[in-house]
Amino acid sequence: MSLAVTATLWLAIAGELVLYIHPRYIVFTITMAVLAVGFVVASACVRPHASHDSDEGADVPIGRWPKLLTLTAVGLATALAVSMVALPATTLTSATAQQRDINSTVLDLGTTDIASVTAGSAGAFETFSVVDWASLLRQTSDLSFFANKPVVVSGFITADPEDPENLFYVARFVVTCCAVDAQPVGVPVYAPNWSSNLKIDDWVEVRGEFATNPSQLSSQPLAVDPSDITPIEQPREPYLF
Amino acid sequence: MVMQTPEVTTTPEGTPGSGRRRGREPSHTHDHDEPESNRPRFSRRRIVWLAIGVLGIAGLLLARTIVDGTGGSNLPLEVQDTLTLSISIIIQSLPFVVLGIVLSIVVQVWLPDGFLMRYLPTTPVLRRFCISLFGIALPVCECGNVPLARGLIVKGFTVPESMTFLVAAPIINPITIITTHLAFGFDDGILVARILGGLAIANIVGWLFSLSAKPEALLTDRFAAECKRPVDHEHPQSKQSKSVDIFVRETSVIMPALFIGALVAGLIQVAVPREVLVSLGSNPLWSVLAMMVLAFVIAVCASVDAFFILPFASTFLPGSIVAFLLFGPIIDIKMLAIMRTTFTTRTLVQLTVIVGLLSAFIGLVVNYVA
Repeated sequence: MSLAVTATLWLAIAGELVLYIHPRYIVFTITMAVLAVGFVVASACVRPHASHDSDEGADVPIGRWPKLLTLTAVGLATALAVSMVALPATTLTSATAQQRDINSTVLDLGTTDIASVTAGSAGAFETFSVVDWASLLRQTSDLSFFANKPVVVSGFITADPEDPENLFYVARFVVTCCAVDAQPVGVPVYAPNWSSNLKIDDWVEVRGEFATNPSQLSSQPLAVDPSDITPIEQPREPYLF
Repeated sequence: MVMQTPEVTTTPEGTPGSGRRRGREPSHTHDHDEPESNRPRFSRRRIVWLAIGVLGIAGLLLARTIVDGTGGSNLPLEVQDTLTLSISIIIQSLPFVVLGIVLSIVVQVWLPDGFLMRYLPTTPVLRRFCISLFGIALPVCECGNVPLARGLIVKGFTVPESMTFLVAAPIINPITIITTHLAFGFDDGILVARILGGLAIANIVGWLFSLSAKPEALLTDRFAAECKRPVDHEHPQSKQSKSVDIFVRETSVIMPALFIGALVAGLIQVAVPREVLVSLGSNPLWSVLAMMVLAFVIAVCASVDAFFILPFASTFLPGSIVAFLLFGPIIDIKMLAIMRTTFTTRTLVQLTVIVGLLSAFIGLVVNYVA
């Protein structure tokens, strides 16, 4: 318990809670963690013989054959608890993006629709995120719609499963609650042999415009034709909410 | 149908004083050998443990700063994501678990005896129906409900009654209802099916388990022993120390379960490709089953699962969404691990089967009607 709470508060102080949960839960989470710290301290002060910590599961009743199972479970739980505190907080990586089938659920996420975009000014497009673009791509593959709309997006790189050599996605995870429900959303970028100077999971900013996707292997009708791909630092809030 | 020892664990108005450690575990007999009055307020053993704990955490934090300095871990991506997902589940659940334990303490220690019982109808069916509406006043999501349900059993509720609460409360709960409404409005009757379906499942589960001849047999031996623990009339605890006592006991039971559940859920998420499930979306029968498997695997919190499933609404039939929203709050990997602290494996298998069949049935009805 105290390990988990320590980790939570540590993350809160480091501003890294957003790596795991949606910002709207942060106040609630911190409040409850502080309350738990109060109880942990109280348990040390008030009661003689308080067990100092619960994570070790010292009270788990041990039967005959489940003994091994119990020990394994306790070991795993302790390892996880230790890793919470000891390892640096990280974002999800392209491994999860691949596994979750990028853009499979993008349709309802974006708030952008074609009508509002057509009415907008050219400057507005520069603030569009990968979610906005992915949502538009879902709605239309008409190239004339995307003409004269400059794309400036940032995200991490994940390879296109169909044409991994020439096409990658600039992707972000969209989080509704916590990292568990993170949905990968991305914009395809056509850059032959991109892996010669870029790596999967690198964070980049891509500038360019949409064009017909020249890739033979990919089923994406459109892809960004990049004029500039700049490596960037991973932002402090890597997920979109 | 009433548990054999409903009142025995409730302590009368406590006189402050000896915060006696009430027998946590029968096997720890050495704790009970010492005479109470001779026990020092600060025992050496406790100070040692405390020191180990503080030093351990300090050491880990030190290790953490060193690791931070070296520019991150070199773990394989899959391992890293498994850890990230598991930790995310824990951090998401932790505040709810704390809230649930605090409410459980309020119910067990601070509410007057019989406060909840006094206003409930005596007919079992009506009584369970009222209990299934408790969630409206106790907006805790499912992992926090387990400590609360344990508190209710200790306080004298029968096992089927607290089971009814456990099943209903995550769904019949203002936060869940609001988020479901935000996500779906009244489209396709998803919201209505979720509320009515949740109520129906909870009451049917309660009824079925109330048919069991020995409701106490549904509980793990350890928890049943905890419920039967006799009141210590000679050394009554103060309410404060009793609260702390319950907090420590509940966390020591729930937290390891939460860790295991989160780890398994994280592993499965990394291992099972999601497209396998999504590709089943448009078949009336398979979509329902696929959604229930998804609900089981992802172990997302009931108060937000509507948002989670919203993006799938375009590819899945409404009945399968309903099945997800009914099954997920009650049964998932994390919940089974946490509930195992209280109920026997056999009970949980029965519960899973009953809830699974009922949610699938309601989902199919919605699919064919809507």
